[in-house]
Amino acid sequence: MGDLSFVLQILVSGLGVGCVYGLIGIGFCVIYNASGIVNFAQGAFVMLGGMITHALLQRAGLPLPLAAAISIVLVAALGVVVERVVVRPLWNRQATMFVMILATLAAQIVIERLTLIVAGDQPRTLPVFTDLPPIRIGTIAIGYQFLWIVGGSLTIVTLLALFFRMTNTGKAMRACAINREAASLLGIPVSRMLALSFALSAALGAIAGILITPTQYTAFNVGVPFAISGFIAAIVGGFGRPFGAFLGGLMLGLVQAIAVVSLGAGLKNVAALSVLLVFLFFRPSGLLGTSK
Amino acid sequence: MTTLSLKNVTRRFGGLVAVDSVSFDIGSTGVTAVIGPNGAGKTTLFSLISGALAPSDGQIFLDGRDITGIRPEDVAARGLIRTFQLVQLFQNMSVLDNVKAGQHLHTRGGIFAALARPGWARREETQIEARAWELLEFVGLSDHAHAFATALPYGQQRLLEVARALAAKPKLLLLDEPAAGLNADETKRLSGIIRRIAETGTAVLLIEHDMTLVMNTADEVVVLDFGKKIAQGLPEEVQKNPDVLAAYLGGVEIGHG
Amino acid sequence: MTSLLATTLPSRFRWTDTLAWLPWIISAGIVGYAFLSGGYVVTLVVFALIYAVFVIGLNIFMGFTNQVSFGQNAFAAISGYTSAVLTTAYEWTTLPAIAVGVALAVLCAFLIGYPTLRLKGHYLAMGTLAIGLITYEISVEWSSVTQGYMGISGIPPLGIGAYEVTSDRGQLALLVVIVLILTFMSARIRTSRLGRAFFAVAGSEDAARALGVDVARYKLASFILSAACAALAGSLFVHVVGFVSPEVFGLHMVILSFTMLYVGGIGTVAGPLLGALIVSLLPDTFRAFKDYQDLAYGAVLILLLIYAPRGLAALFDRYVPAKKVGGAP
Repeated sequence: MGDLSFVLQILVSGLGVGCVYGLIGIGFCVIYNASGIVNFAQGAFVMLGGMITHALLQRAGLPLPLAAAISIVLVAALGVVVERVVVRPLWNRQATMFVMILATLAAQIVIERLTLIVAGDQPRTLPVFTDLPPIRIGTIAIGYQFLWIVGGSLTIVTLLALFFRMTNTGKAMRACAINREAASLLGIPVSRMLALSFALSAALGAIAGILITPTQYTAFNVGVPFAISGFIAAIVGGFGRPFGAFLGGLMLGLVQAIAVVSLGAGLKNVAALSVLLVFLFFRPSGLLGTSK
Repeated sequence: MTTLSLKNVTRRFGGLVAVDSVSFDIGSTGVTAVIGPNGAGKTTLFSLISGALAPSDGQIFLDGRDITGIRPEDVAARGLIRTFQLVQLFQNMSVLDNVKAGQHLHTRGGIFAALARPGWARREETQIEARAWELLEFVGLSDHAHAFATALPYGQQRLLEVARALAAKPKLLLLDEPAAGLNADETKRLSGIIRRIAETGTAVLLIEHDMTLVMNTADEVVVLDFGKKIAQGLPEEVQKNPDVLAAYLGGVEIGHG
Repeated sequence: MTSLLATTLPSRFRWTDTLAWLPWIISAGIVGYAFLSGGYVVTLVVFALIYAVFVIGLNIFMGFTNQVSFGQNAFAAISGYTSAVLTTAYEWTTLPAIAVGVALAVLCAFLIGYPTLRLKGHYLAMGTLAIGLITYEISVEWSSVTQGYMGISGIPPLGIGAYEVTSDRGQLALLVVIVLILTFMSARIRTSRLGRAFFAVAGSEDAARALGVDVARYKLASFILSAACAALAGSLFVHVVGFVSPEVFGLHMVILSFTMLYVGGIGTVAGPLLGALIVSLLPDTFRAFKDYQDLAYGAVLILLLIYAPRGLAALFDRYVPAKKVGGAP
């Protein structure tokens, strides 16, 4: 029985991490839908979400909710900066898809290194949002941070769904996803949608980073692994489908948890990357997509 | 003697039948044109013949051999070479190199030939080069041999694509709307070139909107409408065919020829 | 680049012909200066030349064939570790160890390339990135062989049999020869049937197939050539440094090699060498602050992609194929 509860415990934590991957995956989809661009700098937003919150909390002594809110706004603003400084000039020059990927990957490195220079290479963590002993269900302990992650992610997903369905801006973004030229002819400011999609996607990344950091740690170099995981979530969900990406994230979180149990913690990333390759080779349209 | 033979070729997209049981034969010489109003299934038929799409039903034979559903590069290897409606040149190469690349099928040599350059590879390279110059001469582009392919005006890009296709020594040359985007002068010149290609013994199949080109160039015309073959015959016969006239009514006016 | 092939100087002097030589003159100048001055510059240039080997391969796959791979570091790692393990744990001599390393990497490239190269666009980019990252993870985790983060030290230097190249200048000379041979090979590939097939795939896959070019096969051939260069660079690196750890073949290598390729000029023959030399020497001023280096590479890469996507060598590159031996009528 002890083994079973251990496995269940790991699966629960996998589900929590999976929610975070899902949010990052949605970030990929939001930009991809608005522009056809895959933003490889997505991981930088996740990393900065945790790092900036930590700095505001420790250095400026702000309360956690305020620090988190400011951090999300700052990262969203950085998303717009990346869009204006890196993506927009290339977009205007009709750069190839590959050049765009390379440039965003380079942006990731630049942000990562700047963070290293400013903040050093010390790993940091955030305090849990609710400092109470975990809830026990049978032999399984469920920490409050897990509830924050799951609750927060579901809230965000719901809000996003409402945003895309109910608001004019959200509808306009969906129109861009379906047909950019037609959207432009209808008077939708496509270029502003691109900036907005970067802001939204960066904010999602920051939220993901803030939610996960109390359970692990954050450092200048955690971005790329998170970005890869988010990308895998997006692919598993059928690229460009935000809610598919969330489910993809959950699946990836569980697979990683199982890999940790059966193969050891060291092969966690190998397991995730293998999931990616399996999907790319055998089911590139994702679990929910129809094969092309 | 038939080169290309279509037997009940059909292609469905979901519920839509884009090409509906089309059959016809093409001789080993001469120019055949497939015409039809917009949406008649010409482009789909072209993709089926060139291997870009697989037919849902029916068979395609080239020189008596079944080529139904094989890959485009294998279709090409059997001697059926196509051009594209939107010109697809190798933009990163010179005009001359485009034509040299067209001779891929009739040359050999991989990494060893590239690095060690044995005698046979050098001779082959000399022959390729000479042949490329001949073909550029033929379409009138030898003055621009060293320019980048994209530096040519559109009409000349079209001619370069034809020269590159000829470099592959086709038994049957498929031209996909070769007059698209050309002015009247360029169309006339193209028509002359197509006739000369046919005279040298290469069968030509062209899909075309431009009736002037078709009537001046084609020996035989196949008419499609709603995916079905509705007529086949000499250009002047087809022009008078009441079914064809009905299909074109309100469409492109027929009969400038 | 035609200049490399020309055996005689053109009879009529033209300014543009001199211009075509410029990337070579600059490169020769840098290498010559290093050779004469000795010391630290030699070490820098030796590393630059090892990277040039890597980038020459990258250029074949990306510049000639217009495909994407963020994972060529995987092949450098496979060969580098094979070299390291065979020479230390099994006491092989250097040359056979390198040969086995490169062969193993090429075999992996063949097996990995087959499914991977069917991918297109960002799927191809992500797939190849994943291959590089998996290799990295394995080099960390498979510690019984790779000794994890600790790395393997005591790797013998380059050499043939009992003769070992240990002096800085000796290594430099050897690497110059290797780079020249590879550059010459890439120039020959570019003006051959093989190269035309690569360029055809780059120009238009549909048109290439319509002319009978087996696109999948040529993509794989290009990938394998590229992997062989990466593998050779990996092995050269471990023997020159005498040490290998996972970080050597990490994401840093990917970004650095792309910066070199874009600085030098993607798709040109002189580009990889020129780019590798310039990128290795310029940030030397930052060497005291190692953290600034990747920052500089990343920023330079973004600027290049936006403002000078064809690189330095492209400024001088007059690729006029028919002007070479044989001549125009």
